[in-house]
Amino acid sequence: METAHSGKIQKKLKSMKKDRILYLILLPTLIYFAIFNVWPIFEMKLAFFDYRIKGDDIYVGLKYFKQLFSTPTFIQVLNNTLIISTMKIILYFPLPVIFALMINEVRLGPGRKAIQIISYLPHFLSWVVIASVWFQILSPTGGIINHIVALFGGQPIDFLTSKSAIRWVLFASETWRSIGWDSIIFFAAIMNIDASLYEAADIDGASRFQKTLAITLPALITPMITVLILNVGFFMNAGLDQVLNFTNAAVNSKIDIIDTFVYRIGLQNSQYSFATAANLFKGVVGTILIVGTHLTSKKLTGKGAW
Amino acid sequence: MAHRKFSLAQLIIILILCTSALFMLVPILNIFAQSFSDPGLVNKLQGYDILPKGFSLINYKVILSNDIVWRSISNSIFITVVGVTFNILLTSSTAYVLTRHGLVGKKVIMYFLIIVMIFEPGIVQEYFVMKHIGLMDNLWAMVIYKSVNVYYLIILMRFFEDVPESLIEAATIDGAGHMSILFKIMIPLSKIPLLTVGMFYGVFRWNEFFKSSVYLSSKKNTVLQVLLRQFVINSDSQVLVGASNLFANNAIAKLDNGSLKAATIVIAMVPILMIYPVILKHYTSGVLSGGVKE
Repeated sequence: METAHSGKIQKKLKSMKKDRILYLILLPTLIYFAIFNVWPIFEMKLAFFDYRIKGDDIYVGLKYFKQLFSTPTFIQVLNNTLIISTMKIILYFPLPVIFALMINEVRLGPGRKAIQIISYLPHFLSWVVIASVWFQILSPTGGIINHIVALFGGQPIDFLTSKSAIRWVLFASETWRSIGWDSIIFFAAIMNIDASLYEAADIDGASRFQKTLAITLPALITPMITVLILNVGFFMNAGLDQVLNFTNAAVNSKIDIIDTFVYRIGLQNSQYSFATAANLFKGVVGTILIVGTHLTSKKLTGKGAW
Repeated sequence: MAHRKFSLAQLIIILILCTSALFMLVPILNIFAQSFSDPGLVNKLQGYDILPKGFSLINYKVILSNDIVWRSISNSIFITVVGVTFNILLTSSTAYVLTRHGLVGKKVIMYFLIIVMIFEPGIVQEYFVMKHIGLMDNLWAMVIYKSVNVYYLIILMRFFEDVPESLIEAATIDGAGHMSILFKIMIPLSKIPLLTVGMFYGVFRWNEFFKSSVYLSSKKNTVLQVLLRQFVINSDSQVLVGASNLFANNAIAKLDNGSLKAATIVIAMVPILMIYPVILKHYTSGVLSGGVKE
């Protein structure tokens, strides 16, 4: 028993020695992650300490977490994050599915292709560019949307400074950017459906709508669950880049999210410990969500998030 | 196929799809139209116009005569090109090692990478790390930043696993080492997935703006997206035209601010539009089929 065990270890050591060049090749990547991912995680202990420029930081326990939850701004920020994520994950969720189903209904090859090519493009533009384009779309002077508003006899609306509209601007621009690209996975699933199923339904005299309900939609259940679960893992994010580009003084209280809060408090106001506490809270909840959804997904579809 | 009339439902669907496609395309073309419009006629341009009013290159001339703009373009190109080279080298070598059979500790390393993928480093902590290693206000900070995307690594590993083992064995018998197997067998045989992954890395790097604005604070290290943001979002037009330019050139004073912004947006979009056809061509055969395959 003893010798068998040590024999195994020896075999492993021998194999590691043989593969030493492989480990050497791997080293730069491991060093990279150690510096940029592992080190910062350890540094997050700052949430429990008072930051001092000179000398050791002072342990303060949960002081900053207590402060966090008694700060009205943070409650507002948490609230905003959850609302915006609900809109961009739950409310948005059926849209790419519907988009894929509609594209599937276009029987004209070139027309379908043109729509696909156009709809994937916004996904590749930066949020700076998208925000710039949307500033034009929503412009009170000559923007497309206000042309339509004027067509119905309305007064021009400045959506970007409207507290009640700004979250919908985030939702709309996110949809504009992602609906085409996100529909790919559903469209691919539709393409994979066995054509003989539709032929059999034709013989039974099923209508187009009936076929969609009975054949196409069921084939989309698995990718739908996978996508939904994957996105729930990002619930605490809500889109830092997007918010930074769309925000302004008039509406910031409506779209200030955890990430923008951490950035502002931490890097602009140098309240390092307080910002770290907020960030750690977000990180822990986010990790629980990702691991939780991964396990749920594995159970439901046999496919996890990784 | 039997001839079939369009039903009402189908007509509505086509109408909805065409409207959404136009809603994506027209605003982008509108920006192009604005940037090429004649400064005297641009006020006639409406949000739905896709052709310029008159034609003029003056907006581009003004913008490209500003040193800061050239500086930011070359910085963006440097970060993108060197960064993607870094990405490809690290991702492919890591994928190669992690697809070797019988590598001791493979599972531990994979778990490590997945944990690292899940838990994002804090904004403040990452900033501290950059400061500690002395990369503040250094273009290399943005080159090294996000060197390996674990998601792309896993995609690449799927393709490397498909390379026939016999090829690698034959090369080993011929005395090839790991490096030459990686560069002479694995990479040439995985050209398309590597190209696809490389393009996704490239798009990410070209479009990145938040971390660039945090880590590259001085003017000489500004990247194009940050400059664009200052100009378009914060409406800081001096940034773009340059204070000296603004007063020295009488013609510029008459220029429309919106058109100058439009020209800058176009410049930021051009590289993306250039590689977009390549992405379209290979994505369906590359990542998509790789994802469906399993």
